[in-house]
Amino acid sequence: MKRKEIPYKDLKSDKVSFIFNDITVTGVRGQPIAVALMSNGIYTIRHCEVTGEPRGIYCGIGHCYECRATVNGIPSKRTCLTLIEEGMIVSSDTDISYGAE
Amino acid sequence: MDVDVLIVGAGPAGIVSSIELAKRGLKVVVIDEYYKPGGRLLGQLYEDPNLPKENNLWDGKVIASKLTEEAVALGVTILCETTAWKIEEQFIVYITDTTVKEIHTKAIILATGAIEKALPVKGWTKVGAISVGAAQTFTNLHNVKVGSNVVFVGIDPLSISVALEMKHAGINVLGMFLPAPSMLVSEKSNPKITLETLALASNLAPNKLFRIFGKFVKGKISNLVLSMLKFNLIKINGIPIYLRKAVTEINGKRKVESVTIKKLSVKGQINRDQEKTLYVNTVCLSGGLLPLVDSSQLVNCEMVDIPKLGGIVPLHNQFLKTTIDGVYVAGNITGIEGAKVAMAQGKLAALSLLYDLQLVEQDEVIEAFESVEVARIESPLQFYPEIKIGRQIMKDKWEEFQGVRGVVN
Repeated sequence: MKRKEIPYKDLKSDKVSFIFNDITVTGVRGQPIAVALMSNGIYTIRHCEVTGEPRGIYCGIGHCYECRATVNGIPSKRTCLTLIEEGMIVSSDTDISYGAE
Repeated sequence: MDVDVLIVGAGPAGIVSSIELAKRGLKVVVIDEYYKPGGRLLGQLYEDPNLPKENNLWDGKVIASKLTEEAVALGVTILCETTAWKIEEQFIVYITDTTVKEIHTKAIILATGAIEKALPVKGWTKVGAISVGAAQTFTNLHNVKVGSNVVFVGIDPLSISVALEMKHAGINVLGMFLPAPSMLVSEKSNPKITLETLALASNLAPNKLFRIFGKFVKGKISNLVLSMLKFNLIKINGIPIYLRKAVTEINGKRKVESVTIKKLSVKGQINRDQEKTLYVNTVCLSGGLLPLVDSSQLVNCEMVDIPKLGGIVPLHNQFLKTTIDGVYVAGNITGIEGAKVAMAQGKLAALSLLYDLQLVEQDEVIEAFESVEVARIESPLQFYPEIKIGRQIMKDKWEEFQGVRGVVN
C-alpha cells in the first residue's frame, strides 16, 4: 500500500493562522479546525458542560458534536467540519442556552 | 430552487446517481452535510485484489474527485455543508443553506449512507478515544496522526483495514482487542462470532495470512480452534489480533493514558483474575455501521427492521423504489455494503427513476440491476455476513407489502 505525499504544492503560501483559546495556531488551508489543532498537538477542544471533563474528536465527520466550539462568536460549530480561516477566533467556551427561547 | 431530482448525500451512490440523471438532461442538485463531496470514499485507501496487480490501489479520494468533476461538468449542482431538515409532499425540501432555503423537486434519491454505532466501553468519552471512522478520515484524508501508540477495540473487517492503513502511515498499532462484554456490545465481545465475521473479509488485501485465516474459518469452526487462539498469537501485517482478550476500561486523567485488558473465555466471558495494563494515547473504537435513515422517515417511507442488512431500513423493491412515489434509495441506506455496491446502486436508482419518467428502456434498468450483483461479488470488503439473505428478506417484505396495499385499494 503506497501513501501519497500531502498534495500541497507551496506549504508557505497555504499557511493559515487562527486563535484557539488565546493561542495562535497555524494550519494548512483546507484543513478543518480540529485537524489543524491535532497536527499542533492539541487534542482537547472543550469541556463537558455538566461534568467538566475534557472532550475532543470522536466521530470526526460531524455526527457526534463532541468537537463543538465557539467560532467567531457562533457557539456549537463542529470543528471537524469547519475549515480554518486567517484570523479566525475559536474558543472552547460554549453557551448551551444559545438559540433557546 | 426548482430541480427535477434532489439527491441527499454526495457519496459514491449519490454522485453516480447524479451523473446518470444529468446525462439524460435532468436538472439535478446534490446536497451533503460534509464540507466536500465524496462521502466515506474520501477516507478509503487500500489494495484491491480484484484490480490488476500493477494498478490495484483503491484511492477513494481520487475516485471521489473524478466522479465530482464528471458530475459538475454535466451541470450537476452540489451543495456542501447543507442538511435537509424537512420534506413536504411532492416535494418541497427545506435545507440549512442560507441563500437557497428550499428546493422544489419532482423526485428524490436518498443516498445518506451510514453512521457508526457507538461502542461504549468504560472511559470511552475521554480525549483520545475516537471512532474507527474518525481514525480513517484523519489518517487517509487529512494526513494527520491521531496518536503515536494506538489500540483498537472491536475486531471487524473495517477496523482491521483501518489498523493496516494507520500502521502504514507510521503509527504504532499495539494490537486489536474485543470490547468487554456488556448489554450493549454482546456480539462484538464474542470471539466465535468475531472470527466468523472476519472470515468474510478474507479477500481483503494485502495480507496473505488474512486470506489463509479466512479459508480456515470457512471450514468448520469449533471451540477447539478458539481454544487454540489463546496460545497462538495471530498477526496481520505485524498487528497482533487478540481474539481472546478484551479491553475492559480506558484509563487516564485528562486524556487516554492506558487501557485495562482482561482475558476472555471461548464464549466471551471475562476472566476476572488476570489483568494487564497497556500504555497507549489513542483508542480506536469500532462498533459497526448502521444505515442512516432519518431522511427516509422525513418523507414517511415505510420502514422495516432487517438485522442482516444492518438494522432498520426503508422498505424498497429490487429497483430501489421506496413506498413513496418519486422517492428512491441507494447505497448504505439500503443495507451496509462497500463503496462499489453503493456506486452500482446509485446507477440503478437513477435508471429506475428514469424508467418511471419513460426516459429509458426496461433493459437498461435490468442491466443496472445486474451490475449491482456483479459489484457485490467483486467487493473486497463485506460487512454483514448474510447480506444476500437480507436482500431476499427485503424482496419478500416488499411483495408482502404490495399484497396488503392491493387488498386495501
